[in-house]
Amino acid sequence: MRDIPGTVSCIDGNTFLVSDASGDVHSSSATPVGLFAADTRYLSRWVLTVNGERMAALSVDDSQYYEVTFFVVPGGAVDYVEADVSAIRRRHIGPDLTESLTIFNYGQSVVDLDVRLEVEADFADIFEIKFDLHDKAGTRYTQVDANELLMGYRRGTYRREVVVSTSEPATIDPSGLRFAVHLEPGQQWTTRLQAAMRALRPDGVDLRDALRAQRPDESTLPDSVREWVAQAPTLDTDSAALQQVYHRSLVDLAALRFAPLSLGGAAVPAAGLPWFMTLFGRDSLLTCLQTLAVTPSLAPPTLRILASLQGARTDDVLEEDPGRILHELRYGESAAFEEQPHSPYYGTVDASPLFVVLLDEYERWSGDTTLVMELEQEARAALTWIDTYADLTSSGYVSYQKRNRATGLDNQCWKDSWDSISYVDGRLPGFPRATCETQGYAYDAKIRGARMARAFWGDPDLAERLESDAAALFDRFNRDFWLDDRGYYALALDHDGTPVDSLSSNIGHLLWSGIVPPERAARVVEHLMGPALFSGWGVRTFAEGQSRYNPLGYHNGTVWPFDNSFIAWGLRRYGFDSEAGRIAEGILSAATFFQGRLPEAFGGYDRGTTRYPVRYPTAGSPQAWSSGAPMLLLRTMLGIDPHDDHLAVNPALPAAFSRIALLDIPGRWGRVDAFARHRPDRPPSTHGIA
Amino acid sequence: MTATSAFFERLAADCQDPRFRKVCGSVRFDIGDGDDLEQWFLVIDHGDMRVSRSGDPATTVIRVSVQVAEAMARGEVNGLAAITRGEIMVDGDLGLALRLGRLFPRAAEARRAAEPASGT
Repeated sequence: MRDIPGTVSCIDGNTFLVSDASGDVHSSSATPVGLFAADTRYLSRWVLTVNGERMAALSVDDSQYYEVTFFVVPGGAVDYVEADVSAIRRRHIGPDLTESLTIFNYGQSVVDLDVRLEVEADFADIFEIKFDLHDKAGTRYTQVDANELLMGYRRGTYRREVVVSTSEPATIDPSGLRFAVHLEPGQQWTTRLQAAMRALRPDGVDLRDALRAQRPDESTLPDSVREWVAQAPTLDTDSAALQQVYHRSLVDLAALRFAPLSLGGAAVPAAGLPWFMTLFGRDSLLTCLQTLAVTPSLAPPTLRILASLQGARTDDVLEEDPGRILHELRYGESAAFEEQPHSPYYGTVDASPLFVVLLDEYERWSGDTTLVMELEQEARAALTWIDTYADLTSSGYVSYQKRNRATGLDNQCWKDSWDSISYVDGRLPGFPRATCETQGYAYDAKIRGARMARAFWGDPDLAERLESDAAALFDRFNRDFWLDDRGYYALALDHDGTPVDSLSSNIGHLLWSGIVPPERAARVVEHLMGPALFSGWGVRTFAEGQSRYNPLGYHNGTVWPFDNSFIAWGLRRYGFDSEAGRIAEGILSAATFFQGRLPEAFGGYDRGTTRYPVRYPTAGSPQAWSSGAPMLLLRTMLGIDPHDDHLAVNPALPAAFSRIALLDIPGRWGRVDAFARHRPDRPPSTHGIA
Repeated sequence: MTATSAFFERLAADCQDPRFRKVCGSVRFDIGDGDDLEQWFLVIDHGDMRVSRSGDPATTVIRVSVQVAEAMARGEVNGLAAITRGEIMVDGDLGLALRLGRLFPRAAEARRAAEPASGT
């Protein structure tokens, strides 16, 4: 996996290793390379030399996300060809890192090699790397034994250790391992290295033992990946590009699964490499929504863990309220010592409504009423949160204003960078802010909450109240957010109710939520597909012509695949089939430039100008909701949607694809197939058979 | 009375918490160690709470120092952070232990609750 340019990654949930192309880790400040687990860097240096020379990569095989093989030669020069001595580093990641190093002598003479592995552990918290902080409050210690090197970090009762061991004799010193290797012509030598990561309690119990119990040996992971792929529907299509992106996304969703310790082994999606390898409320909920047709098993554990950590009290540092669904959960030192508010942090305005939306949508697919009953209390609390704690201006809108002044987020919607919400002229609105798409989610949550209250919770009064609240919100929203002279919805309302008049992708989510009256939809769609928003690859987060527009602005002009997948879903809801198809075609075509792996975001440059999607410099990849995007786009093109115990199929294929079939789609109907193809006697757009 | 015993005695008196309606399990708190070991045993049965001083085996055991227990009872501890930094040791069902965190007040609330009383 090579998405931070020049780097190779090896992933198993929230344990991962990012190295250079030769397999070395040579960390410099503010760069997220090294071996990480639970937001902590356990190896910051892992450099192999032979006779003092660094290694150069001849080739890298990273076809399995949890395993990478590097073929390397000493020298570092790219044009080195007379490689008598060469080596293979085969790396596998699970609860711990193992690397087998084999050195070959294909020369005609005997060689005596000084093989050296330099090792260092800085135990940096991911936020120390992000903010380039160096002073650690605790102390590091090192212990050298006969065949292992132990590096540790202690701060009060907080203790983390990594033990590097070798199967072959080595001379070990505090900064690495040295092997004297004597090779006859044609001979080879192998050692098996291991880096065992420990999170130790004061009584010596390792918190990571639970992970090892789930993955007893190296073979466990390949089996689980095979099973994961086998359980997903089979995609049958004549498009090799679509096949590639489907398979890649499926495997990346497997790579990002991690089992939080509090969940007894069930896996939820981590948000993305390298900065977001943990549980995020919004990201995991949206990923589950995207993937219900393909990997529905992600949804129940995600809902359960978010329910078990749902806010219960009022806390201004964590920004916790009763009923609020969390934003971000971290296990690193900065969270442990409450220097960052991530244990957990609740500063999100949309995870609570999306929790209700996913619970309902999951039931519609699975028929799993047990989960709807199990999480009734939490879903009710989330609905109550929307109407009480989130209505900061008593105007009936969900809005946000951070209470944690030091480390809280300014913007608590999905576009959570500080400058993402602005007027056309660039001014930033005051607080509280109410962004438009959040009102859509709240509306949808009320409608879906009403269905669950009536059908499962035996509470018709609640159902009626939610429906009448939803109707009132619909009217209010369409009065206050609609900019009639522009023909689109304001991005947000300022603290005093003034519409923040920028044109943004957020209006696309409103179609998904159903809060747009049909007679207004065409004007909204005209903007979404117009040149200011649509780049040819997808809808930009922020339209050209807005003062803060920048095709490389994180939330101010880039194209986000996940964003587009929800917009396409909304377009089909309102019958704009060919527009949904254009987005699907654009995003899926972009994926081919990233070897089938859609990054978090890419540049908003016009497709006709650049002809390729411009890489966004620090985009996360793989990123769960980017891997989920092709799944939702498939759902959108096939037009599949549960109707009671049946799966309705209403395909609308863009011209770029002539045939798509998704076989064995799991759900309350058992498993069914969905087909879409163009018929020679009809123009390509809306015809297919179910 | 220590804040810890006040906390458990309040729990024993309340004997019911609707937020735990779907929760069943037993939790033993081992506070301090050696001769000073103080144990509290909590049985949760669909929201009904029974508190005793039993040292019997429980599905979940939570071990803390006297100081940390006092801070928890005063609402000064973030449970998840304290588990991550090794101040609270949980054996058994970590999910249940995290849910139990809801029984403890937060400092801000505890202060708010205390203020009217001190004003009268």
